[in-house]
Amino acid sequence: MNLDRSLRWVAVATFALVVFSAPPNLVAQPGAFGGGYGPPLAVMPPPKAFATSDEHYKFLLAAAKGGTKQTITSVPRWDGLWVTAGNSHMSSFIDPPGFAGKVREGVLTPPYEKAYKERWRQQQELGEVQYDRLTHCEPVGYPRWLLEPYSHEFVNLPHESYLINDFGPGIRRVYIGQEHKNVYGTHSWYGDTIGFWDGDKLVTNTKYLLPADFTRWSPMTSNQFESVETWQLKKYPPDVERLEVQVTFYDRHAFIKPVNAVYAFRRGKELEAAGHRVQHWECETSNNDVFDKGTTTSRLPGEAGFKDARGTTLFPELPGQSRDPIYNTTLPGGKESK
Amino acid sequence: MKTTFRSLAGALVASLLTASAAVAHHSFAMFDRSVEKVATGTVARWQFNAPHSWLYVNVKNANGSETLWSFEGSAPQSLLTRGITGSTFEPGATVTISYCPMKDGRPGGGLGWARLANGMFVNPSDGGCDGSPTAVEKWKGWLAKGYTSSAEAQKAK
Repeated sequence: MNLDRSLRWVAVATFALVVFSAPPNLVAQPGAFGGGYGPPLAVMPPPKAFATSDEHYKFLLAAAKGGTKQTITSVPRWDGLWVTAGNSHMSSFIDPPGFAGKVREGVLTPPYEKAYKERWRQQQELGEVQYDRLTHCEPVGYPRWLLEPYSHEFVNLPHESYLINDFGPGIRRVYIGQEHKNVYGTHSWYGDTIGFWDGDKLVTNTKYLLPADFTRWSPMTSNQFESVETWQLKKYPPDVERLEVQVTFYDRHAFIKPVNAVYAFRRGKELEAAGHRVQHWECETSNNDVFDKGTTTSRLPGEAGFKDARGTTLFPELPGQSRDPIYNTTLPGGKESK
Repeated sequence: MKTTFRSLAGALVASLLTASAAVAHHSFAMFDRSVEKVATGTVARWQFNAPHSWLYVNVKNANGSETLWSFEGSAPQSLLTRGITGSTFEPGATVTISYCPMKDGRPGGGLGWARLANGMFVNPSDGGCDGSPTAVEKWKGWLAKGYTSSAEAQKAK
């Protein structure tokens, strides 16, 4: 078989698939999720190298002369629904980005690189990493939050910003003009985020995070993972509004040196047009995915442990206890047991 | 030129793979995506929930009995943009779907495309199986020839 001819056909077929199955102005960028709205994303490394996220954040705060004091009328508004619009994530760890690539050398420390190579082996040989912590409805957490699809809302107030992904939901709170606090003495899924405004740019510093992973096919991160982010709303012709997040990740256990990346969100106009409103989708009671015998699987109706997301409550004898009041369907095992 | 085509092909394929793999909240290791099958039955429930929707379908067996099959699809946030809502599959309606079966043989799979009673095809799939317009076009030809699995169609080639 002529390889070049085959590749040509793959390119043509794939391009056709992208063009004909996507919104008109979408052309995916390598390594991106939902990329292509606006010009290609470019990673903007920090002005100099920093050893820690604290050092980086303080440098930016000093450069912004303590930050812009926003009021309720001056604070940048990012109201509405947003969806992911590309990122450089995979490029940070895979060379070239894509599932045919190899683990990029010189990024991860030896133990983390070894662990990641095993994950990557599964991805390439089995077509799927066998385990994903979200299988159990664990929170998305940070930094994975930056990549997750679904819909997002960003609410800015003068003294606090709320960065919301409706899956979970995953809510990050940015305390503007404050110092880090950790009165509980532990780490958490979203850690503690402080920030300041530099004009229309929101600069944040996140720390005290739980060890986790970016995604199931990405590297693990340690409990020393921290970040500095710069958020800015940019506009491109003809009518693209894109929130761009320049990020530097610090992790002395996982990374040989800080990792720079860019993530983006665009307005979810098609979701708004379809009538979407953010709901609290409660994963734990509606999800039957489990990690069993070394791989992810699902419990089916009638099987032990099956959770019926639209079955009845503990009180099926009372009227109106179905979680499926429109169609009132039942499945085997659909009643909660007392 | 050859290099350009190689790069283009690699980049585009990588982008698509990355995009599909990123959509769902869990691994699809449970589904055999090398196999596509087709089933017709009556909707028991369309569970339009995040992070995954599930289509439950009663399918008649050869001996006349029925089995409840479970098919996992994408999240409502994605499906709304494809024109699929919470009432697309009403209980009791006839539906034909493609799916990638569970590897362990239980009656379930990753949902591909679905053909509604009015003949319209929709794409409720997530990363568990292919429900794209390309897959629909492929299957229209196979269905016309009476095939109900990709293995049958490939064997006949």
